Amino acid sequence: MRCSHDSFSAAPRRNGRVNSDACGQEFTRDSVTFLQPALLAALPLAALPVIIHLIHLYRRRQVKWAAMIFLLAAQRMNKGLSRLRQILILALRVLAVAALIFVITRPLAGGWLGLTGGAPETVLILVDRSASMEQQNLATGISKRLAGLRNIAKAINDAVGTRSHLVLIDSALGVPQPIEKADALIDLPQTEPTDTAADIPALLQNALDYITTNKTGRTDIWLLSDLQQSDWDASSGRWETLRGAFATMRGVRFHLLCYPQRADDDLGIRVDRVTRRETSEKAELLLDMQIARQVDQPQPMEVPLRLVVNGTATSTKAALQGNQLVLQGYAIPIDKTMKRGWGRVELPADAAPANNVFHFVFDDPPPLHSVIVSDDPAEAGPLSAALLAPADPSRKYTATVLGVSRAAEIPWDDTALIVWHAPIPQPEDALTRQLHTHVAQGRSIVFLPPESPDATEIFGLHWEGWDTAAAREAPLVEWWRNDADLLANTRDGAALPVGSVEVTRRCGIAGDGVPLARLGARTPLLVRSSHTERGSAYFLGTLPGPAASSLARDGVVMFALLHRALSEGGRTLGKAQQRLAAASALGDEGRKWKRVDDSAESLLAGMLPLRAGIVVSGDQITALNRPLGEDAPQTLSTNSLNELFAGLDFRVLTDSLENARSLTNEVWRTFLVVMAIALLVEALLSLPPRRAVAARGMMTASAPVASPARRREPAESAV
Amino acid sequence: MLGNVSGKHRSPVRGSSLEFAQYRKYVPGDDTRRLDWRTWGRSDRFYIKEFEADTNLRLCLLIDTSGSMAFGPAGATRLDYARRLAGTLAYLAAQQGDAVGLWSLAHESIEIPARRGAAHLGVVLDQMGGLQPLGGTNLLLMLHDAAEKIRQRALVIVFSDLFVAPDELKSAIQHLRFRRHDVAVFHLLDRKELDFDFDRPARFIDMEGGEAVLVDPSLIARNYREAVRQYLAELDDLVRTTGLDYHRVTIDEPYDAVLARFLLGRTPKKRAR
Repeated sequence: MRCSHDSFSAAPRRNGRVNSDACGQEFTRDSVTFLQPALLAALPLAALPVIIHLIHLYRRRQVKWAAMIFLLAAQRMNKGLSRLRQILILALRVLAVAALIFVITRPLAGGWLGLTGGAPETVLILVDRSASMEQQNLATGISKRLAGLRNIAKAINDAVGTRSHLVLIDSALGVPQPIEKADALIDLPQTEPTDTAADIPALLQNALDYITTNKTGRTDIWLLSDLQQSDWDASSGRWETLRGAFATMRGVRFHLLCYPQRADDDLGIRVDRVTRRETSEKAELLLDMQIARQVDQPQPMEVPLRLVVNGTATSTKAALQGNQLVLQGYAIPIDKTMKRGWGRVELPADAAPANNVFHFVFDDPPPLHSVIVSDDPAEAGPLSAALLAPADPSRKYTATVLGVSRAAEIPWDDTALIVWHAPIPQPEDALTRQLHTHVAQGRSIVFLPPESPDATEIFGLHWEGWDTAAAREAPLVEWWRNDADLLANTRDGAALPVGSVEVTRRCGIAGDGVPLARLGARTPLLVRSSHTERGSAYFLGTLPGPAASSLARDGVVMFALLHRALSEGGRTLGKAQQRLAAASALGDEGRKWKRVDDSAESLLAGMLPLRAGIVVSGDQITALNRPLGEDAPQTLSTNSLNELFAGLDFRVLTDSLENARSLTNEVWRTFLVVMAIALLVEALLSLPPRRAVAARGMMTASAPVASPARRREPAESAV
Repeated sequence: MLGNVSGKHRSPVRGSSLEFAQYRKYVPGDDTRRLDWRTWGRSDRFYIKEFEADTNLRLCLLIDTSGSMAFGPAGATRLDYARRLAGTLAYLAAQQGDAVGLWSLAHESIEIPARRGAAHLGVVLDQMGGLQPLGGTNLLLMLHDAAEKIRQRALVIVFSDLFVAPDELKSAIQHLRFRRHDVAVFHLLDRKELDFDFDRPARFIDMEGGEAVLVDPSLIARNYREAVRQYLAELDDLVRTTGLDYHRVTIDEPYDAVLARFLLGRTPKKRAR
């Protein structure tokens, strides 16, 4: 398959093999399909003129003729152009009938839709509403999202009209939304721009769930996306599951409308850290900012910056030499009485508006409080020591050790991390509900195995039992996930020494989770629960003490693991928070929040957490921003896309914002014109030739031809 | 016309009738009795005075009876037309005391030598009435055959559609003329054959051989007329080169008018005056 990034092209794949037709030929939007394909069965009628001609040929009246020498001579002369003329007339008649048949079959330019099989029962429209989809054509102001929606709406209108059940699933909300007609796609709140990231595998999972639940029959899935790598998460194991599930379904067909083209000279800005510093003389905000662009040969340029703090704007310029400019500790003077507040930094408008603004809030940071629930001082001691050691000197760290019987005393509102070294509470237990609420608020829990584990499940995971034999065979960690989560590499790229951690006692972990570290191929040591939307729940299959592992002895891995979980849980502490725009960014009580900036566009309450900006609720203030992955220019390659959909019936259509044409276009008028032209030319060719009247007069003369010889013989006799 | 007995037709040889024909320069060997002395006296040159010689006529009627002669409406076919012309001429000749013969060569050969007499005329007309158009054309063979078999000089009149190659026809005509026969041809054509005025495709069946040809007239009419025009042009050329007494006749013309034109065309100018 060839996916052009700068032209509208599409190529079909089926069952993971390159379609032989498509192999040497690119399917363009000019390919033709038909809205009434059944009528194509009438195409043999185009041969009618030939059949009628043959019938007439053999049913002609008979004429007894004497002057055959002239007839044969005329036929001999007729074998050239006249024969060609006759063939042309027949061909034009065939063409006219064929064109008429094509007219009534309603041909549709844009063969990528592959609608020759008729309208499907259900059409699922999956829309990537990530921030990067707001990249727009500066000349027209049309974004990728809007262009794609318009194209899909028109294509659906042209192709299936209202014959199919239309369902929209967007990446931000993930909720199937039936829609009456395709035109509604443009105006629905569920297709408005967002500053969220998109989880394409989750989007497809939603589609899969909908198909399975509703038994949708023959289904077309149209996916609109810009193929951004961070959204597609091509390395995720979920793809294999999705492929397997879709492959077992019959009649599911994918149409992938992609806008992978990246904006030229796009500048993006982000704020990594905001610190309020106050001296005896002044107070100021210190911002750590990054301005980045992605060009091959960067030229030095001055970047105008607009900084807004509590509604007061200032402007400055930054000199950008390469592709990245890091501004560390950029100071903005503020009033000494301003203890907390909000602000944003802005870049001039360009083709990708989503990364031109970054919002921030500032306040005195709350202490990062953690609670260790354990009856074993030997295990609680090292944990407490690690959690009290400050990872960020500017923050305050506190830790409390509570016995299992005092677990109810946990200060839920102030605790960022709970380390649970105790039996799993029963599902109906109040403590279980509190633990779930704790995680739902974005906090973290790390479960450690009790001495007598049972099969009680929490967050989809449960303990299996201690296993020392396995530990003897594989005492070291063989694999761990170093690209994300608790055991990720450090900021400078260095790996944590997880491989040197010795595990002598291991407790088995079972349930639905994502392994973050394994001892052997199938022996998970650290698992993250898949049953959490906000917050994190981890199961660590050993204890830090020397009787079970070297975690406490070596310290580094345990310190990083605990502080990362603490830091993650601490994000939702305090009254001023930085969050990523997402449906769950404001928790369950999203209606309490409102935008602080009155100039900002009014949004429905449900859409508030999806857009970047500052929102407040009581004394809580939160800055919502796009996920930084949306700034990354990397898009999924064609090969990767083929691998992700291998074995499925899918077609890829690559479009660009500069392409103003629609996906489909009814072209029956063209065939009508063809038919008219064919009939006109046929009529001209069929006109009888003009009679040679003068010649006829000469030939029919009955006067004798004068003979010179006769005139020389006057003596001849008359009868 | 050369005959055995004295008749009502001018002979091609000068004779001893009372009607002056022309003067001719004297050449040694001429009969000095025929010198015109008065002319010698006026011009001091010798001229022979020639007179017309009257003789009787041998009229040989050659009728083409090939299948194509059946073309035309029932009762007015080409052969019917030829019979009317030939019969009338035979009758006229017999009334003048001329000898009349009939030749035809098709599926059966008819050769009736030229003889005088009312009884013979009856035989000729009977045979003429029994002619049937059938089979392929044998016109050329008949002309060559007639040229060989008609021993005395005669007026040979051919009735045919002449659907043969003009160069071959020219050879046959020249053969007749080599035998010193006076040759006249009635070229009988139907107006349909000239105009080819058909609108719809049809299967054309050859009347001489049965061969069928599928033809769309709209496609070949122009070429057909061009072929006819070329053919007639070649015939005109043949007439010019051979001095043939040629009459192109469409069979819807009144045959009396055609006969009158033929007879007037053969009447000597002086006598016509």
